[in-house]
Amino acid sequence: MITKFITSVSTTFSPFNARSGKTARSFLALLPPNARQNMKIDVKMLPRAAPSTSSNSAKPEPAAMLLLGFKDGKQMSLDLEKLKTKDVQEEVDRHSRLLGRQEELTGN
Amino acid sequence: MPPRLRLRPEHLRTRIPQQRPSHQQCRYASLATATTPAPPIEQTIHSSPLIARYPPTQPPSYKPPEFRKSQLHRQYASLLRSSPLMLLFQHNNLRSVEWVGIRRELAAALRKVDESLAADGRPDYFGDGVKLQIIQKGIFPSALKVVEFYHPEQQPQAPVHHPTDPATATSATIPDTLAASDDTRLTHGLSRTAHEVAEANRRNKKLKHGLEPLLSGPLVLVTFPTVSPRHLKAVFEILAPNKEFPAPKRKANPGYHEPAVQSGLQKLMMLGARVEGKVFDMEGARWVGSIEGGLDGLRAQLVAMLQGVGAGITNTLESAGKSLYFTMEGRRSILEDEQKAQAGEAPKEG
Repeated sequence: MITKFITSVSTTFSPFNARSGKTARSFLALLPPNARQNMKIDVKMLPRAAPSTSSNSAKPEPAAMLLLGFKDGKQMSLDLEKLKTKDVQEEVDRHSRLLGRQEELTGN
Repeated sequence: MPPRLRLRPEHLRTRIPQQRPSHQQCRYASLATATTPAPPIEQTIHSSPLIARYPPTQPPSYKPPEFRKSQLHRQYASLLRSSPLMLLFQHNNLRSVEWVGIRRELAAALRKVDESLAADGRPDYFGDGVKLQIIQKGIFPSALKVVEFYHPEQQPQAPVHHPTDPATATSATIPDTLAASDDTRLTHGLSRTAHEVAEANRRNKKLKHGLEPLLSGPLVLVTFPTVSPRHLKAVFEILAPNKEFPAPKRKANPGYHEPAVQSGLQKLMMLGARVEGKVFDMEGARWVGSIEGGLDGLRAQLVAMLQGVGAGITNTLESAGKSLYFTMEGRRSILEDEQKAQAGEAPKEG
């Protein structure tokens, strides 16, 4: 996974949720060891029980979200309940490859 | 030079076996029907235990024991059985420098807890027993399944053969005691029966131990030899600081705020805990850590609560009688006052 162009990562997930917990954790494990110096990483862990929407809200917010910020300012928000690790990687790579090509063209 | 071995020539001559005459052969033939002595009574009542042909500390294992994974399996099984409290963290690409720093800080904090416990006079200082261990993500779940679900002592014992039992005919096959790895009588953690229990649970997925969703990815385990909230608190303050468990300040502990240690700690994520076989999430683990005074404190609280409950019941039962008494007393005093007032008025009038 190309992580060179990511500037910020923000996740909310519950590790006990079988699908989204694994996806979020494997994404965080894919970040390189020096990542913390180049990007801002924010991890919020939810308790085991899914937050039940007791108040009548129109749209229950998804329990597992991944928010990525890229170098060109794009904010990508991924729903971890629906996507698998590979899909998340594909999305990130697609945008990163775009940015990579732009950088090459501008000669940085 | 004289020969090294002193041999005498007559010893080198081979001896030709003497041919016995035929009548002596007949005598030997009759001796062949001599009876063997009767077996001791113990042998006729109980069958003798079969001798195992492997050392008791190294029973044959189902998978090859020389692989590292078999030895890790044993290690993890013993770790799971001997640590009633363990915390599970995920480690994301920590470097060795960061690990060294974190282990150093952890050891220093636990030593401080031990010193304070020793100063209080309590004997349970075992900060050395707390271990931080990276675990292999394929072998640990298997060891956990064996520890949780395989209980050979609860299964019925195989029937011991009785010599006069018709089933124990001499032509019946008694399993031999050579070191066969798939012998079903073996009951240790690496035996075939244990492996079958773990396999069955993997396929059926009926029995769950609650830690399954956590057991993926790079994991590290912090194990405690007993459930001690004070040590747990120290570990939380270092590894997973929170408002409840504040990290040590820069002046108090400058080594903690080194860049290596800090960057390493950012990459550690706490996932959950397993306390005495039950699975807790982060909040539950923090609750366990916030219990004041350790297990003894909990017990004292329980005792006080039970005593309080007893006193409360007594008070409630007495209160009916008490309120009746007070009511009557009040009534009596009112009547007395009225009488006094009447008596006071009568002489006035009269």
